[in-house]
Amino acid sequence: MSGLTEQGAAAVGTAAARTKGLRKVYRGTVAVDNVDLEVPTGAVLGMLGPNGSGKTTTIRMLLGLVTPTAGEVELLGQKMPDGAAKALPEVGALVEGPGFYPFLSGRENLLRFGAAEPLLATADIPNAVGTAIERVGLTAAAGRRFRGYSLGMKQRLGLAAALLVPRKFVVLDEPTNGLDPAGTREIRTIIADLHAAGTTVLVSSHLLAEVEATCTHVAVLNQGTVVAQGELSALLEAGSASLLVTTPEATAAVDALRDQRVPARPTPEGVRVDLTATTAPAVVEVLVRAGVPVYEVRKQRTGLEDLFARLTEASSAADLAELDTLITEEAR
Amino acid sequence: MSTLVVRRAPITRVLRSELRMVLRRPRTLIGLGLLALVPVLMGIGIAIATANGEEGGAEGLAALVIGNGMLLPIFALSIAMAMLLPLTGAMLAADALAGESAHGTLRGMLMAPVGRGRLLAVKAFGVASVTLIAVLLMALTGIISGVLLLGGDGMLTASGTSLPFLDALGRVLITALYVTLQVWALAAVALAVSAFTEHPLIVVVVSLGLVIVSGVLAAIPALDWLDPVLVTTSWDAVSEVVRDPIEWGPLVEGGLRALCYLVIGGSIAYSRMLTRDG
Amino acid sequence: MDRKRTALTVAAAGTAAGVAGLVLIASPAGADETPPVLPPVSAEALVQSVIQADVPALAGAVELRNDIGLPIPGLPQATGDNVARVYTDGNGRGRISLKQGSGERTFVQDGTTTWLWNSANRSVTKFTGGEDKDGKDTADKLSDPATAAREVVELIKKDSTVAVDGTARVADRPVYQLVLTPKPTERTLLREVRVSIDSQTRVPLRLEVLANGQSEPALRIGFTEFSTGAQDPALFTFTPPAGVKVTEGAAKDKGAKADQESLFKSANLKIVGEGWDTVATGQVPAALLSAQIPQSGERAAADVTSLLKRLGKEVNGPFGTGYVISTKVGTALVTTDGRVAVGAVPQQVLIDALGQK
Repeated sequence: MSGLTEQGAAAVGTAAARTKGLRKVYRGTVAVDNVDLEVPTGAVLGMLGPNGSGKTTTIRMLLGLVTPTAGEVELLGQKMPDGAAKALPEVGALVEGPGFYPFLSGRENLLRFGAAEPLLATADIPNAVGTAIERVGLTAAAGRRFRGYSLGMKQRLGLAAALLVPRKFVVLDEPTNGLDPAGTREIRTIIADLHAAGTTVLVSSHLLAEVEATCTHVAVLNQGTVVAQGELSALLEAGSASLLVTTPEATAAVDALRDQRVPARPTPEGVRVDLTATTAPAVVEVLVRAGVPVYEVRKQRTGLEDLFARLTEASSAADLAELDTLITEEAR
Repeated sequence: MSTLVVRRAPITRVLRSELRMVLRRPRTLIGLGLLALVPVLMGIGIAIATANGEEGGAEGLAALVIGNGMLLPIFALSIAMAMLLPLTGAMLAADALAGESAHGTLRGMLMAPVGRGRLLAVKAFGVASVTLIAVLLMALTGIISGVLLLGGDGMLTASGTSLPFLDALGRVLITALYVTLQVWALAAVALAVSAFTEHPLIVVVVSLGLVIVSGVLAAIPALDWLDPVLVTTSWDAVSEVVRDPIEWGPLVEGGLRALCYLVIGGSIAYSRMLTRDG
Repeated sequence: MDRKRTALTVAAAGTAAGVAGLVLIASPAGADETPPVLPPVSAEALVQSVIQADVPALAGAVELRNDIGLPIPGLPQATGDNVARVYTDGNGRGRISLKQGSGERTFVQDGTTTWLWNSANRSVTKFTGGEDKDGKDTADKLSDPATAAREVVELIKKDSTVAVDGTARVADRPVYQLVLTPKPTERTLLREVRVSIDSQTRVPLRLEVLANGQSEPALRIGFTEFSTGAQDPALFTFTPPAGVKVTEGAAKDKGAKADQESLFKSANLKIVGEGWDTVATGQVPAALLSAQIPQSGERAAADVTSLLKRLGKEVNGPFGTGYVISTKVGTALVTTDGRVAVGAVPQQVLIDALGQK
């Protein structure tokens, strides 16, 4: 188990979605293996991972589109894929790029998908479609054929389809693909609105800034497994495994630490000390004993990007295990 | 959250939406238009040939259709049965699952959610309705162009009797229904293939391959024992419709054969839909 | 995975049901039924009842199955095909529809007139006048069924064994099977001829010709559907369709008859032997052998000799050189000088017959 185990245990029954030991093999290729994912109700969970890390496969299994080779999926308390008829009406999703009929206009496409929505009364469909189009800013292009849409417009229409009905859970797979900065901002607003309305949101993205800006929780996938998950703030905390020491005698400080086999290096802001094998008080003690003047000691917030890079680059099993322990410990 | 209950969109609404969508697809419209033209072009061709006095040489229905307008829709349908209508059925089936899968719209339907079994039923309904529409359209343009171009009130049957207009209309209707059923049988097989792939072209190629291979197998005397299980075996039975009295035996047998293929194609398609990745 | 198992079950069950259905459609109903139990009857009595029986009003479909080992143009091959539908009102009016692809030839006897319709060229030929004389003669002969039956059976018995070989079902009706087997002295290719006679109406429903060494009939013609009862009177009338020219058939027929007779004379037709090993010999004009005959389909025309070469094998003997065409039920020998011998016999019998000349 990686990440905040105890939180998961405490959240029984309150997860909007949960997977256990999820595994999918496509013709001998393992796409996803042993994924234990938990999306707490009301959270905005950002799913991070490089291309081919299994994000989309996991989402497709979550939505019952793909049958797992092994493991269990629970969506809104329903076992998937068998509970699809119960869970999916409450779920809106934009997966793997929007799928629409190229020969129909945006509005006609939404009308068609509206007709299939169990939660929409027949009389309400045109209204719901109009509202959704407005919400994603497609009003001007709603009458044009989908064939002629730009990538960003297609993405917006996909979002509109996911939001046709008020949902309990919204899944957005790479929602900002093809959007300009303004569009990206709009998506961010929409996600924030959904969050404010109590909707659980799962966003997969490779744009870390996106996730950092909009998410309350993060799950990091790499090579088909979850390498870290938990609250964003806790993870960032855990990931900041370095200490920044401000001192006029940087060289002396580095020497003193290296004598004690603590990795350290001088940087323009100060001495950066790696905390992987030691703790902050120990570092301060070493420095004080060596007579190095210490003006300021501060934990370095590395940011998601750093964490992500470290999580996904630590590909060897040993590194992963080490990271795992580290994150678990720090989270406590 | 475990209090969620199964909810489905009203099926008639989904079926209507499906039909509207299929009938908006440009390929469908072009196909329907071309099929509707077939009887007209045949009527013109026969009218010109008759005017030039080229009556000899024709065999079977072709010999009978001259000056016998009500036979034109039946003649046209029996000709289209050989390739054009199977092609239409296969194309519709190919677009229904393989094509939609490639567009990602099948995924959208599954996520709505439309249950997998229902989705197959909806898609099959779309294919079946448009097939029926295509055949009825051909019958209609056949009747109109037949009466206008070739003339004749009522219908001269192959047995040498003359049927009044309404009876002739009934014969055209029987032909249309029989032909539709046969195309459905092939389309069911095509739909099963369609459930296995994302490439519509594969579906069309496999389905027409089946028709062609069946035709070849039927032509080999040593393989006559295979005839009863070939999908094309009963396609010729259309010509029974123009006998008087109608010989129902081959038509009923053909209908049952088509039903068997519908069961086979339908069950394989359903089985694949249950496990297919969306 | 449950779903996977369901899926496999559905696919397997559906496919199995469909294929079983396809096979069932093809197999004739009641093929495996046990033979019906009928009161025993002697061969004479059976034949007598057949001769005595009036053909009732009936409707039926006739199937022809031919497996004689030689393609005959116009006849269906090994698979059975309904080739005709027969209707009669039991009072001399009747209708026969012969299928010709999607076209049809229809004969209608409406009591006074016989109509012949051919859809291929949309022609109607009309034959007026009563029954022909030969028919009357036969009718007179058959007026005493008991005697006729005895005569027929006696005639047959000279060369054959006649027996009632149990019962069966033909066209879903119980039938007696009358079997004619050649006596061992007969030099023939045939093993037996089997006639199925409807137990109720005593109408022969099926004729099967079985050749030596074959388990399946080489030739079979019989009803696949047969029902008695009043028929729609409209079936026995024929009104020539508008715009179709009607040819009076009688005169033309006489001419044709004369032609045929002169052909017969020139053919020097002779019957050699009797019984099962009867051989017909004759002469065809030598010119015919090099005549071009039109071939069906797209193949080029071929002359008769090359056709003979293709179908038969060359033999030499006291008669000179010729070609033998063998089928399961008969053999034909055509010599290069135009002599012909045909019979349901092996090749040697034909050669002997030619030698008797």
